[in-house]
Amino acid sequence: MKKLLKGPNTSWNLFLAALLVVECVIFGAANPKFLSLARIFTSANSDLPIWYISLFVTFVMITGGIDIQSCAIVGLTSIIIGVAWQDFGLNIWLAALLAVTVAAACGALSGFFVAYCGVQAMVVTLGGSFLYSGLGLLVSALSSTEAYKGISGFPDSFKALTKIKVFGLVPLQIVIFLVMLLAAYLLLHRTKYGRRVFLVGVNPSAAEYSGINSRLVILSTYVLSALAAGITGVIMTSQLGTAKSDLGGSFTMTIITACVLGGTLSTGGKGSALGTALAAIAITLMRFGMPLCFGIHKQYLDIPIGVLLVAVVVGRSLVSNPSVIAWAAGLRAGKKTPAVK
Amino acid sequence: MKKILKARETTSFLFLAALFLLVGIINPSFLTLSNISACFNTSVVYTLIAVGMAFAIFVGEIDVSVGSNLGLVAAVVGTMIQNGSNWFAAFAVGICIGAVVGLINGWGVAVMKIPSLIFTLGTNGILRGMMYLQVGAEQVNQLPKAFKDISSMTLVGSFTIYYCCAVLLTLLIHALLTRTRKGRYFIAVGDNAGGAELVGIPATRTKVLAYVICGVLSAIGGIIFCSRIGIVTSLSGNGYEMKAVAACVLGGISLSGGVGSVIGAAIGAVIMASISYLLVFMNFSSNYDNAITGVILITIVVIDALMQHRAAVNNRHARLSARTAASGKEGTK
Repeated sequence: MKKLLKGPNTSWNLFLAALLVVECVIFGAANPKFLSLARIFTSANSDLPIWYISLFVTFVMITGGIDIQSCAIVGLTSIIIGVAWQDFGLNIWLAALLAVTVAAACGALSGFFVAYCGVQAMVVTLGGSFLYSGLGLLVSALSSTEAYKGISGFPDSFKALTKIKVFGLVPLQIVIFLVMLLAAYLLLHRTKYGRRVFLVGVNPSAAEYSGINSRLVILSTYVLSALAAGITGVIMTSQLGTAKSDLGGSFTMTIITACVLGGTLSTGGKGSALGTALAAIAITLMRFGMPLCFGIHKQYLDIPIGVLLVAVVVGRSLVSNPSVIAWAAGLRAGKKTPAVK
Repeated sequence: MKKILKARETTSFLFLAALFLLVGIINPSFLTLSNISACFNTSVVYTLIAVGMAFAIFVGEIDVSVGSNLGLVAAVVGTMIQNGSNWFAAFAVGICIGAVVGLINGWGVAVMKIPSLIFTLGTNGILRGMMYLQVGAEQVNQLPKAFKDISSMTLVGSFTIYYCCAVLLTLLIHALLTRTRKGRYFIAVGDNAGGAELVGIPATRTKVLAYVICGVLSAIGGIIFCSRIGIVTSLSGNGYEMKAVAACVLGGISLSGGVGSVIGAAIGAVIMASISYLLVFMNFSSNYDNAITGVILITIVVIDALMQHRAAVNNRHARLSARTAASGKEGTK
């Protein structure tokens, strides 16, 4: 327990945990229906890209990069599964494997440009988001089905994947999330590789001089986030029973929000898997609770999430602002003076 | 230095010309004045927001809220005009919204020192949400015909009034940026913020001003969007921020700040806007649109980065050999 408390970014994680509790209390008080695990799990299903991908986009951001292409990869994965299964007669599991492999290759390509050609990550992944969503459209054009309809009619065994409920309550998606969280946590905070990721983010040339192949480390983080996107694509396809090339399209900004809210520094060198996971859950609870309890239309949810993001970054910047620190110190000193007198 | 800047724009311009020529070779019916001017005319909104985005990028930051800013202004102005209010009052309100959004972004980024991507991401969400509040599930589509008709009026040849105004504005901004002292602050701050501060340039104020200009230009873009398209839904302007960034990059502006020109951004915007138009003439389906945009974007930045890297290596070799030659001479002495 002590060790857990001493973990990375503990105070921030405690704040996030408190935020979760506050959300539960407020939403629960406003509408007791909110406090049902089954309902929360169901609502989480539609936010899966945020949960899965943000965990590994954290890796990219710790190295000082950014990844805005992963949502495009989700759609690409989905449509590859559909087309490979329907139009090329591949076994559905093989098709899923193929799609995830392609996703990893996409990540590797972008990672290569970032790490070995020295192009800014933002530009490469921006180009990647155009390219991979475009590839998704092209793949869907290979199919005999109209693109806007999506490919459906998958075998039951594939669709059943996401209908499994562990202990009759927890959907498999959540279990996969926990496994991915554990993997990300161990990889980032308990292995040599994780320490390298941090060092590359803090100071790439120092990392290079200390014998770390920093380019390879950077490349690998993009592969990881693309892999997460690929897995998301498989899960979402199975869940919806439909393969579409625009799956997960609008989550890019929310994923970055989850990472930043989770305490990841966008300039690199700081972040934690647990923080990102807590932030992602907090965002989902908000997206679920606001419409349920206060009747806010789903489309307006950008406002509270935007406000949350801005409030958090402004607050954090205020706390670290020297003049504010001096003011707080003065306040404390001012309180002390009467006691001395 | 100036020559290099010029070279960067020229490359983008040559690329655009080559693109047109290539399409012309494949399909000669493309090479008419009306087709080419159509490419320019459709780019007017992109041109405005790309020039605005260029300001944010010049000072070494980024503004991903322009798409929602544009959408919100389009929605507000559209609703006002639809309800019969004075056009110029509506325009003034729209531009004020843009300026206020820019001011808030500038405050967060320059004064509070929050990473610009993160802060503008937050304001992007807030603005998009406000736009839903304004438009809701409906559309703004009952705009007076006179307002929509401005977009098809031509001024010079077959170029529309809007595009001509955008070009004039870009040229004016370019002149101000390169010929006036205050205008050069933007590039100086982006090149080296600390150094600029040391020589007495108000870096914070310059950054805030850059965001305000970016906000105002996206507001103008929103008004023109409203007039050109004639329909504003709650999704209008979504994703335009990325197109604007891509246009800047295609126009030779470095995302690390301090390099590039607004003319480059305007040319990049034409490239971005033309791609889907050109595909029609090359008998490709519009499915190729995104993929080709992505390939062009990645290719250009990778080539640019490799060339810069090579130049840096060559420079280092030149310095090294000069130094060894010098020390060699000393040795013989």
